[in-house]
Amino acid sequence: MRTALVLLLLLALASVVGSLVPQGPNSPERVARFQVDHPLLGDFYRHAGFFDVFGSWWFVLITTLLVISLVLCLVPRTRAAIRGLRQRPVQAREIDGFPQYSERTVATRPELAIASSQKVLRRRMFRVSRAEGVLAAEKGTLREVGSLLFHWSFLLLLVGVIYGKGTGFTGKALVVEGETWTDGAANYDGTVREGRFFSGDFTGVGVRLLDFEDTYRRTGQPMDFVSHVDLLEPDGSLAGRADIRVNHPAEIDGLSIYQYGFGWAPVVEVREGDRLLYSAPAPFGQLSPPAGVPQLALPWNGVVKLPSVGEGLGIQLVLWPDSSAYLQSLETGRPVLMTQANHPIMFFTTWRGPLLDPSPRSLDISVMRRWTTGTIGQGTTCDLATGKCWEDGTRPVGPGELTMSFPALRQYSVLQVSRDRGVPIVLAAAILLLLGLLPALYTSRRKVWVRAEANGEGTVLKVGGFALQRKSQFEEEFSKLVDELERASGEKVGTR
Amino acid sequence: MTPHELHLARISNDLFNVALFAYIASMVGYFAYLAFRREVLRIGAKAVLMFGLAAHFLSIVQRGLAAGRVPWGNMYEYSSLLAFLAVLGYVVIVEGRYKSRTLGGFVLMFAVLTMAIAVSFFYVGPGPLVPALNSYWIKIHVVAAILGSSLFALGGGVLTIAYLVKDARERREAAGPAARPPIMGASIDLADPPYYAPGADDPVGATGSTDGRGILPPSATLDRMAYRTIAFAFPIWTFAVIAGAIWAQEAWGRYWGWDPKETWSFITWTIYAGYLHARATSGWKGRRAAVIALVGFVSLLVTYYAVNLWIVGLHSYKGF
Ligand code: HEM
Repeated sequence: MRTALVLLLLLALASVVGSLVPQGPNSPERVARFQVDHPLLGDFYRHAGFFDVFGSWWFVLITTLLVISLVLCLVPRTRAAIRGLRQRPVQAREIDGFPQYSERTVATRPELAIASSQKVLRRRMFRVSRAEGVLAAEKGTLREVGSLLFHWSFLLLLVGVIYGKGTGFTGKALVVEGETWTDGAANYDGTVREGRFFSGDFTGVGVRLLDFEDTYRRTGQPMDFVSHVDLLEPDGSLAGRADIRVNHPAEIDGLSIYQYGFGWAPVVEVREGDRLLYSAPAPFGQLSPPAGVPQLALPWNGVVKLPSVGEGLGIQLVLWPDSSAYLQSLETGRPVLMTQANHPIMFFTTWRGPLLDPSPRSLDISVMRRWTTGTIGQGTTCDLATGKCWEDGTRPVGPGELTMSFPALRQYSVLQVSRDRGVPIVLAAAILLLLGLLPALYTSRRKVWVRAEANGEGTVLKVGGFALQRKSQFEEEFSKLVDELERASGEKVGTR
Repeated sequence: MTPHELHLARISNDLFNVALFAYIASMVGYFAYLAFRREVLRIGAKAVLMFGLAAHFLSIVQRGLAAGRVPWGNMYEYSSLLAFLAVLGYVVIVEGRYKSRTLGGFVLMFAVLTMAIAVSFFYVGPGPLVPALNSYWIKIHVVAAILGSSLFALGGGVLTIAYLVKDARERREAAGPAARPPIMGASIDLADPPYYAPGADDPVGATGSTDGRGILPPSATLDRMAYRTIAFAFPIWTFAVIAGAIWAQEAWGRYWGWDPKETWSFITWTIYAGYLHARATSGWKGRRAAVIALVGFVSLLVTYYAVNLWIVGLHSYKGF
C-alpha cells in the first residue's frame, strides 16, 4: 500500500514538472522557443524527457510499477476480505474488556434473551453468529468492499487508459466546403499522434463538408461553430448526416470527429492562355496577433505553387475576407473585426525560382526572385506579368498570357479525428470508483458481543463492543442498542 | 444586454459589496470575540455573517438572471461562489454539526480575500458563455469543482491551520514553562493529542474553557473536523474531475490530455488521496497529516489561481 502511494505521489511530482515545462505534444512552438532561449537546459530537458513527461519512458515505468504494486497489494487484501465475508463472526472469550461494555438484568431465561437479542441485531443489519448462551455480531463490511471496489476500479481505470491511448490515434483533418476527406494515413493534416500499440488500421470512412457556419456576437465573441457534414462509409455510400459543433462530436466506425478549427480557403485558378494550370481552394492560415489586436481582425495568408511554370512560380497571397473592414482599419488605424465575407480581396506577390520548400502551405523565397505584385478581388482576373486586373469576362485573355482568377471564397473546417477504444472502460471504472468511494469513506465497521448468564429467576445480559472507525458515534449507537436488547428481552428488573 | 439585464447586474454587484463588507465586519467581530471573550460580540458577528450570506446568495442569483444562464461562467463568478460555499460550509458543518462557534474569523478571512481578489482582478460583466463552456457538463463539473474546492479550503486550509495553531499552544502548555521541547517533534509521543479521549466530539467553544487554554476548540476536535471535511470533499472532487473528463471527451475528443488544469487537479486529488491513506492506514493523525492537508491546500490554490492566470493551456481563461 505504501509503495503504491509513493508511486502515486511520484506521478504527481512528475506531473508538476509536466505542467511547468512546455510539453511537445501540446505546444511544440513553445518547446522550440524554449530550446532556442535556453540551449543548455533545453538539451538536458530533451534528454531527460521533460518536454514530453507524460509520454516519457520513466512516466510509463512509474505507471507500470503502480499497476504492479496495486495488483500485488490488492490480491491478498481481496482474498482476506472474501475469507472474512465467509467467516461467521467470532465469539469473544472475555467481553468486559471492550471499549464499550454494559450489563443489564432482565426477567427471562438466558436462551430467550439470546434469541431475542439475535433478532434485534439481525434487524439492525448485523451479521450474527450464535453459540451456547453467546452471540457475536458484526456490521460494516461494506466499508472494506467499497474500498476494494475503489482500488480495483482505479486499477481498471489505469488499464483502460493504457489500452485506449495505446491502441488509438488522433489527428487533424482539414476539409474545404464541398470536398470530401477520407480517413487514411496520408490524408491527415500534420502529424498523427499514434499510441504505442497502434497498428495503422485507419478506417477509410469519409467526411464531406457541406457547409461551415460560424457565428459571433457584435463584440466578436464566438457564439457557435458548426460543420454540416455527410458521413460516408469506406465504399462511398452515405452513412448519415451530422452537425459537428463544439461539444457535439460525430461518431462513425469507432472514430470520434470533433470541431477543432476553421479558416478561409479562396478558390484560385491559374491559366496560361486558356489552358487551366491550377484550380483549387487554398486553405489559408493566420499569424498570431500582436498584443491588443483580436485574431478576427487579422488578414489570412496562403500560397499557391506552380512548379511547372518556368523554373518555378510561387504566389504569396494575403486575404482580407471583408474589404470594407480593411479600408476602415486603414482609415481609423484601429483593427476592425471580420466575422463574415464581404467583397473579399487578396494582395498577391509573385516569385520566380526553384520551389525548395516541399510544404504546400509555405514558400521559401530565399532563392527566388520577386516578380510582380497586385490586388485581386473576388470575380476578377489578373495578369501575373503586369499585376493588372479586370472583371471576369470583360477582356479576352491573350494566348500564352499568365493569369490568375479568384472565382469564389470558401471556408474550411479542421476536424479532430480520434479513436480511443478505452473510453467505455475508463468511464465504467470511474463510475465504479466513485461508487466504491462513498461506503469506503462514510461507513464504519463495528463489532458487538452478547453473553446471557442465568442469575436466579432472570438473566444478566452482558454486552461489549467496539468500532474501528467513528468511535464517538458508536458510543451513542451502542447505548441505544443495549437499551433495545434489554427491552426486547422482557421487562426490566434492574441495572448494574 | 438589455437595460433590464444591466439593472439586474448592478443589483448583483451592489449585493456582492454588501456581502463583502458584512463579511469584513463579521470577521472583525469574531476576532474581537477571540480577544475579549464577550458573548455579545460573537452573537453580533454571527448575525452580521448570516446577513452577509443572504446578500451574497441574492447577488449570485441576480447575476444568473442578468446573464440568463448559471452564475458560474468565469473566474469572477467562480470566486464569488467559492467564497459563498466556504462560508456556508462553515455555518453548516463547523457551527451546525460540530457546534464549534469560534472559528468564523478564519473562514471569513479566506472568503474576504477570495472576493477581494475576484472584484479587483477578475471582474467582467455578465455575458453568455463561449461555445466551449456551453454544455450541461459545465453546470455539473464546475459546480462540483467549486463545491469541492470550498470544502478543501475549509478542511485542508482553515481548519488545518487552526489545528496547527492550537496544537502548538497545547504542546507548549503541556511541556510547561520550564521544559520546552528543544526540538520540534522530539515530544510527539508525550504530547500527542488524546484523539480517543471521551468528549472529543462534544460541543466545545460555545462554553469556552476558562482554564486559560484559549477558546479555540481542542486540537483533537479541530483535527477531527478537518479530517471529516476533507473526507466529505474528496468524493466531490473526484466526481468533479470525472465530470470534467467526460466534458473534455465531448468537447475536445479526449477525456484527459494533461492540460495544466487537468494536471493540477490530478495533483491535488493525489495529495488528498495520500492524506486519506495516511490517516486510514498508517494512523498518521495530528501534525504530520496536517502538513499533507496544507500541501493539498497549496496545490488547490495553484489549481485555482495559477493555472487560470499564468500557465498556458486550454483551460486558461479569465473572461475576454
Ligand atoms: C478537479 C479540479 C478541477 C477544477 C477545480 C476545475 C475547475 C474548472 C473551472 C472553474 C472551469 C471553468 C473554466 C476555467 O477556469 O478554466 C473548468 C472548465 C473545464 N474543465 Fe475543469 N476543473 C478541474 C478539473 C478538470 C479536469 C480533470 C478536466 C478534464 C480532463 C476538466 C475539464 C474541463 C473542461 C473541458 C472545461 C471547459 C474548458 C474551458 O474552455 O475553459 N477539468 N474547470
